[in-house]
Amino acid sequence: MIEAKEVSLRYRDGTLALNNINLTIGEGEIVYITGPSGSGKTSLLKLILGMELPTSGTVKVMGKQISGEKTEELRSLRKKIGPVFQELKLVPGRSAMENVMMGIRFLDFSRQEIKKNAADALEKVGLSHKAHSMVENLSWGEAQRVSIARAIARNPGLILADEPTGNLDHDNAINILNILTSFRQKNTSVVVATHATHLIENQKNITIIRMNQGNISIEKRGDEA
Amino acid sequence: MKNFIANLDYFFKEAKRIIFLNKLSNIFTFLGAVLILLILATVVTGWSISSRLVRMLEEEAEISAFFHEDMDENEVFALAEDLDKLDGVWNVRVVDESEAYERMEEILANDAGILELFDDNPFKAYIEIRIDPGQIDSIVETVKDYKDIDYVRDNRGVLESINDIIKGIKTVGTLIILAVSITTIIIISHMIRQGIYNNREQIKTLGFLGASRMFIGFPFICVGLLITVIAGVLASLVMMLIIHNGYLAMGGSIPFIPLPPKGNLVTGVTLVIMGVSIILGMAGSLFGLSSIKEH
Repeated sequence: MIEAKEVSLRYRDGTLALNNINLTIGEGEIVYITGPSGSGKTSLLKLILGMELPTSGTVKVMGKQISGEKTEELRSLRKKIGPVFQELKLVPGRSAMENVMMGIRFLDFSRQEIKKNAADALEKVGLSHKAHSMVENLSWGEAQRVSIARAIARNPGLILADEPTGNLDHDNAINILNILTSFRQKNTSVVVATHATHLIENQKNITIIRMNQGNISIEKRGDEA
Repeated sequence: MKNFIANLDYFFKEAKRIIFLNKLSNIFTFLGAVLILLILATVVTGWSISSRLVRMLEEEAEISAFFHEDMDENEVFALAEDLDKLDGVWNVRVVDESEAYERMEEILANDAGILELFDDNPFKAYIEIRIDPGQIDSIVETVKDYKDIDYVRDNRGVLESINDIIKGIKTVGTLIILAVSITTIIIISHMIRQGIYNNREQIKTLGFLGASRMFIGFPFICVGLLITVIAGVLASLVMMLIIHNGYLAMGGSIPFIPLPPKGNLVTGVTLVIMGVSIILGMAGSLFGLSSIKEH
């Protein structure tokens, strides 16, 4: 699903965000990326989504190499990914429902499917009752759940979530992680960047990528947590 | 295509939102577009009327070729047939002595009595050649070279004036249309760029989600088209009113200007303005959209 070989990412200001990392994530795998702020978690997710391009090395996602030149290929790849952005990237002036629908309108769904998928996704994140509220009138935690709904409504092959539980209370955070990990049954890979290591302490069958100053260490956790 | 149709209502809602997001600026853009298209409508109307006038003047452009007096009728007609085949010659007619005399009588009108002072008809037969005024020089030179032609009377001054008028009208009209088109495209594209700037975060997000340029850009194309088409309708209505009143005023006071039928003129101008509105709206929007960067 995701294959990174000797990947480094250095920003224009000289900051080294990723340092020669090697990584393989399979189909249906649940991966948590942990580490302190500035360790490179968001950079790694941005790289997988093609928001940043590697300075060196290669990144392949769903068999396609991330490259600046292959714009159309990148676009079709992004259509198969459900991203949850740290800064949410919801569109103000629209309702929660409209925001979720906007994220799936250009996928191969009929008009009815667009509405149904959006409504179902909002129900999953417990926001059916706020479907027609403007996103600027929602709390940050609610807005975060709208962002998650937008990602899962796409029926993605890969979910990339950057701090999806950052502003949620414990119960809602567990609920969101359960929703995300439930996509394993659909063979969807889920990559979650999080500070909240306490939420994954008891999770089984997961991969934990620990990041520190652009370097990674990988821990595979099986059925015995 | 299925996807496109399923999202039509979304595109129009987005277009409406883009317009209302920057209402005041878009109102001024709209008014600017109306005024520009009204100028264009005026130019098209003027061009249409003057083209008709020019066509009539062109049809009057003629030279007279005087042939040897000893030629018999058959030879004269053979010569006329030859001249008729020349490039730039529209039509040829032999005017005999008596018709030349009658024409002069018509010209002199009340003073025609002066012709009775002559014992014989003083006028010679000639060949009247209607020509394309743009080719006067080459035609006159060619006709002069015929061995049976004595001399050519070419009214060169008049013909050159007609030619200058035609060229002038075409040049001024083309320049105004060009200026109007460029101005409209710039105004619309700036408005679209402004809209893109105001919605830059949304555009970026849609890009990260995998939306195509077409999906992102179509609402902006709708905005450009909506503004120019409505402006075109308004400009056409105002122009209709101007043409109607103009015909009432000119028909009575300047009867010698050959106005085209009002219905034809109004239909023609409306079609041109609406067509141009659509093209300019589309071009302006696409030009504005080119500012969206792929990444």
